[in-house]
Amino acid sequence: MAKKRVTARKKKVVKQSNRGGVKKTAKKAKAKSPRASVKVSTKDRKTLAELITMADQVVLAARRRRDPHLDIPTRSLSNVKFNRRKRFIEMGKNTNRRMLFNLSQAKSYMQTMLVGSGCKQLIEQGKNTSIRGLYYMLKHTIEGTKENTFEEQSDCDPVIEDVEVLLGTLREELHLYADKRGEMVGNLQLEDNGDLIDCARMGSGGYGIPSIVEPNVINFKKCSAKFVLHVEKGTVWQRFNEDKFWKKHNCILTHGAGQPPRGVRRLLNRMHNELNLPIFCLLDNDPWGYYIYSVIKQGSINLAYESQRMAIPKARFMGLRSKDYERCKLSPSVRIDLNDNDRKRARQIAGYPWFEHKKAWQKEINMMLKNDFKLEVEALISKDISYVTEQYVPDRLKDGDWLD
Amino acid sequence: MAKVKARRKKKRQTKKVPVGKTSVSRNGSAGGAKKKKSRAAVSQARPVSTNAAITSRRSGRRATAKSMAASQRDISVSEFFAKNRHLLGFDNPRKALLTTIKEAVDNSLDACEEAGILPEIWVHVEATGNNRYKAGVQDNGPGILKKQIPLIFGKLLYGSKFHRLRMSRGQQGIGISAAGMYGVLTTGKPVKISSKTSKRKPIHYYEIQIDTKNNKPEILNGRGNGVDIPAGPKGETWMAKHGVEWVRTYGEDPENPSGKEVVSGTRVTIELEAKYQRGRGSIDEYLEQTAIANPHVTLHYLDPDGGYRHYQRSTEILPTEPKEIKPHPYGVELGRLLAMLKGTDTSTLSQFLTSSFSRVSPAVARKICSTAGVKVRASTRKIGRGEVDRLYEAIQETKISAPKTDCIAPIGEEHLLKGLHQVVPGEFYAAATRPPNVYRGNPFQIEVALAYGGTTAAQRITKETLIELIGETDLRTLRQFLIHTFDGIGSDAAEKIMKESDLGTRLSPGKLVTKQIDALHEAMRNLNLGEGQTMNVLRYANRVPLQFQPAACAITQSILGTNWRPYGLSQSRGSLPSGPVTVMVHMASVWVPFTSESKEAVASYPEIQKELRLGLQAVGRKLGMYLRRRIRVRQEGERRNIFLRYLGEVANAVSEINRADRKDLYDKLLKIATKKTAEADVKLDSRGRPIEEDLDLGSNVLIVDPNEAADNLSVK
Repeated sequence: MAKKRVTARKKKVVKQSNRGGVKKTAKKAKAKSPRASVKVSTKDRKTLAELITMADQVVLAARRRRDPHLDIPTRSLSNVKFNRRKRFIEMGKNTNRRMLFNLSQAKSYMQTMLVGSGCKQLIEQGKNTSIRGLYYMLKHTIEGTKENTFEEQSDCDPVIEDVEVLLGTLREELHLYADKRGEMVGNLQLEDNGDLIDCARMGSGGYGIPSIVEPNVINFKKCSAKFVLHVEKGTVWQRFNEDKFWKKHNCILTHGAGQPPRGVRRLLNRMHNELNLPIFCLLDNDPWGYYIYSVIKQGSINLAYESQRMAIPKARFMGLRSKDYERCKLSPSVRIDLNDNDRKRARQIAGYPWFEHKKAWQKEINMMLKNDFKLEVEALISKDISYVTEQYVPDRLKDGDWLD
Repeated sequence: MAKVKARRKKKRQTKKVPVGKTSVSRNGSAGGAKKKKSRAAVSQARPVSTNAAITSRRSGRRATAKSMAASQRDISVSEFFAKNRHLLGFDNPRKALLTTIKEAVDNSLDACEEAGILPEIWVHVEATGNNRYKAGVQDNGPGILKKQIPLIFGKLLYGSKFHRLRMSRGQQGIGISAAGMYGVLTTGKPVKISSKTSKRKPIHYYEIQIDTKNNKPEILNGRGNGVDIPAGPKGETWMAKHGVEWVRTYGEDPENPSGKEVVSGTRVTIELEAKYQRGRGSIDEYLEQTAIANPHVTLHYLDPDGGYRHYQRSTEILPTEPKEIKPHPYGVELGRLLAMLKGTDTSTLSQFLTSSFSRVSPAVARKICSTAGVKVRASTRKIGRGEVDRLYEAIQETKISAPKTDCIAPIGEEHLLKGLHQVVPGEFYAAATRPPNVYRGNPFQIEVALAYGGTTAAQRITKETLIELIGETDLRTLRQFLIHTFDGIGSDAAEKIMKESDLGTRLSPGKLVTKQIDALHEAMRNLNLGEGQTMNVLRYANRVPLQFQPAACAITQSILGTNWRPYGLSQSRGSLPSGPVTVMVHMASVWVPFTSESKEAVASYPEIQKELRLGLQAVGRKLGMYLRRRIRVRQEGERRNIFLRYLGEVANAVSEINRADRKDLYDKLLKIATKKTAEADVKLDSRGRPIEEDLDLGSNVLIVDPNEAADNLSVK
């Protein structure tokens, strides 16, 4: 009964909001005038409805003289589950209650509401902004105090993630995007926001992967590539691009500048699922490299609710491997000693449920610990500048030597 | 002091027969025409008889008894003290100045109180040359008869207070004559005394030196007879011509006298080698503390730098006159008992006991005698050493009621609060006067007062003083200047001050312009530097501040031994609690047990410790209640504040999202907030029922609105 009423309200409110825009004062109307042409998509309408439900709950609680609260799904290792069947990380059902009338939570409650209102403005105006942009949009001094709503961007970012999980929406559905990172090159043609892009003709810079790569922005047109090679960093990617590796081996080359951002992961996921391309990863031989692979394959703990559309359970780990020091006869000078932090992290990763039962992976991690050093992909350059593109990767591909 | 005992033995005789050629019998009934000293006249010389042992040396006779006898002679008290000046508090130039002022002021206060005059005291300290200062102290007391003046100021161990068992300040040192002697020794300038006994009478003016060999005053002016300055304009011109200083009228401003005429009083001016320094153990501190413990006194103080301070009395009521009592049997040692027996003029033991001691009735005397196995009617002259021994033990075994306590005049809780409030700025004051108790037969009473929220010296500073201090300092940076000049400012506080005043740390204090000094002064006064400050302890014995040897004193030990944490102060193990607290402890007794002859610390008798503890706990409890309430009020306020701060934002955001009525939503949320805070503020008792807590601090507490306190400050 109550639910019905809320939905009914929602529609009404949406209509109101449209009208409200016209009625606004001259100044605001001017700012919002292009909005008349903004088409609110079905998806946006759904997001708006979610936002309004959240706000309505506050009004309802206030009317009933109750303590307004939000139940935000917990984003931590304790609340994620590895789904063995689907082979990616799923979010559990635990929630954290955030209350307005709790001294330690009052501020973050207020911030959550602010982020909600900021997203609503973005959606209504049909604009996107970076999370940093939203932070500036919402940052102001609270009336009658010297306190700011947000002091730093790091105050704002987790709140945005809270709103995402709270509403069950994706970041792009809130018209937000993270910093753009990562580039792509290869035999693929796609349409980006109406422009046709040929990723085989991107020069030395490559195609910068946008942070929103949903089908309403990017559509794949033509693909002749046979697989995707994802490397960790721009420098390695540069090496592969300069040697025209993707031409020789007919593939797509991507990098994510370290831990890949959502745009890159989502694009990899779409290429894997829509174009049926296998994904290979060439990452450093250290715990952080392992974890990048883990995130690409199973999804991240923090964004477990997005695993569904991000994770690529079939992604493969090509290197570097702990045995490569011996196998490639690298010079001792390229070794980097492990520190305590590395060892701790490696053991932690070995204990994750999705690595726990994989013998090959246990062997791999144990060997690194036994070696007591780590290797970067660049280490292969010590052999020969193009060793990695002409020898290492082709050999692995030929032998089918990779970890799953 | 072995000598004290020796002198006591002679008590009876000295009362009857004036000793020494020059001493004159005191005219007690004349009522107050006296300036007293704490020591009585005693034979000026004590034979030295310790050389017998030397003569018995057999081998290598270097001198014979006969040849040695030639150099054996009397030592005058004055000679003795001239050599041992440290015994009297003249160990260094700085302390010498303090002791001089202290003796003079203490004497003045005793005289005024005894005469029933509300004391008004002028203290003038003036630099006269390299390391030379002129210290002048004048009171509005009864004045001194002409013939007494030279004896009181020019003869050591001459006075009225020593033989009475009564509460008075005059347990300090040997008196003003020692200060005069020190002055003469170090500068060669005579002691100048002016005294006037009533409006029409002339001012007696003397310039005196002590003849140290004979312990005898030597009058230098008026051909050895002093000068009488007649009242009226003629006398005034004479005084102006001869540089005789005299404060003629009451009133705050010494430059522009407009008040009533000072009709009687005494002024003593001593020039001495000294060092003037502010801070711990200074005259400033002594006078400030004196003002606290003596709220009936008005003090005018002109310091050598030309600064003038005025402590106005906060009460017009003189302390009740303490009564003189006889010693209590429990407080008498065997030696003293023997001496008393020897000196008594009673014939029977019973008579002796009842007449010489307090609280000994004939029945009690009988009991003592029967316990000791001595006849009640035994003659005092025929009692042997063994019997006295038994008598002494019998006294300890017999139950004798505690001595009367009306011989003590406590300051009183009301006056404690007034005095403390007058001098120490703060927001909360509490006082407790314990009921009198007895240690070893001596009645005593402990009083404790506490001020909380007081500001540090740095905060009380006037701009003039600040400018002066900045001018004097040779420190190179402002930061150093702040830390080293002011008590209670650490590096943190200095940083705070400089941040607030917008001045650079490395700025040289000498190069500050007026505007910057203004900013600095403003910042120093306004910043709360209370954190990290340690408790300020003021100790008193019979209303006299004890400024030295705090660690040896039972008062400090009791404060250290008290756990202040339950009372809302932080305290690390074995140290004084921290916070903006001033604790004042007063011990009033007919005989204050000092740890040493320097009379700077109270000895720890279990009875005294117990009373101190109870007194400290009494004020501590009140402070605790006050602080707890303050914390609670602050928490309530904070809670409400935090909610209020965010409610507006939440209402804005929500109405932005769903177009709800912002004001309506805000009001509703506000109501919930009020309800929630109220719920959280209610304290529950053990059964879960809410407690209505009223702050009931009882009597003897003074709470000052901090704003008002600030106003008082600026007035001063």
